[in-house]
Amino acid sequence: MQISSEEMAGGITRVALDGRMDIAGAAAVDLKMNLIAGTAAKLLIDLQKVEFLGSMGLRSIVLPARAVKSRGGKVVLFAPNEMVESVLKTAGIDTLIPIHHNLDAAVAALQ
Amino acid sequence: MGQAATMHAMNPSIDPPPPPLLTLQSQIEDLALVWPWAEALAARYAVPPDTQFAIHLCLEEALSNIVRHGYRNQSNQSIAVACTVERAPSGVAELVFTIDDHAPHFDPLTPSQVAPAPAPATLAELEPGGQGIRLIRKFASRIHYQQLPNGNRLTLAFPLPS
Repeated sequence: MQISSEEMAGGITRVALDGRMDIAGAAAVDLKMNLIAGTAAKLLIDLQKVEFLGSMGLRSIVLPARAVKSRGGKVVLFAPNEMVESVLKTAGIDTLIPIHHNLDAAVAALQ
Repeated sequence: MGQAATMHAMNPSIDPPPPPLLTLQSQIEDLALVWPWAEALAARYAVPPDTQFAIHLCLEEALSNIVRHGYRNQSNQSIAVACTVERAPSGVAELVFTIDDHAPHFDPLTPSQVAPAPAPATLAELEPGGQGIRLIRKFASRIHYQQLPNGNRLTLAFPLPS
């Protein structure tokens, strides 16, 4: 499981996840996700390269998102594949963190 | 990684092949053994990627629930996962995973477990670790629970390509 981040225009922090967000994958990214969430005000979580998402992986997304939102920030999820999106919807995440498949729309939702 | 974790590989020369069995210690670290084992079985039966995803998800959710809630993180307990190919009542061939544990009885299919919880209104209300049963019910094509004299048996089935 790989994680990288970059600062985009408009004060947006884009964090890209790559790999399987299973128990081991979630453990591998938790610390960095929490560090990023500790300072980000507008967080775009890029799920394009996430091949798998289980409930421990959900936790690795939800807890940082909760931290950002608790400070008045915004979070969006970007481009999950069909199965990952199905997990997000089954867990009800999509009603709390918007999912976008178009980058411009994702960026606009953070403004 | 648990020393008791063992793998019994299928022998394709025997017909029908013996059911493969994976025995785990009840610790989260051992769950890393499950997907490589299940993935190899899925590849053997040409299981499509979406069904592989569903198998990975359901096994991880079921087994982590057993470790965390059934055994309450006591690492000296065992969990056995068997894989068989069976024919569903509908006639569809299925890859079937049977999970046996010795934890206190817990039926994930009781009405109180099955009833959909109200959707959380805020992220603060969302319990991110509490989605396992909901995910299993969504992604497994067939689920069966059996109370054993000293434990539980959960059976999860997934369709095989025709």
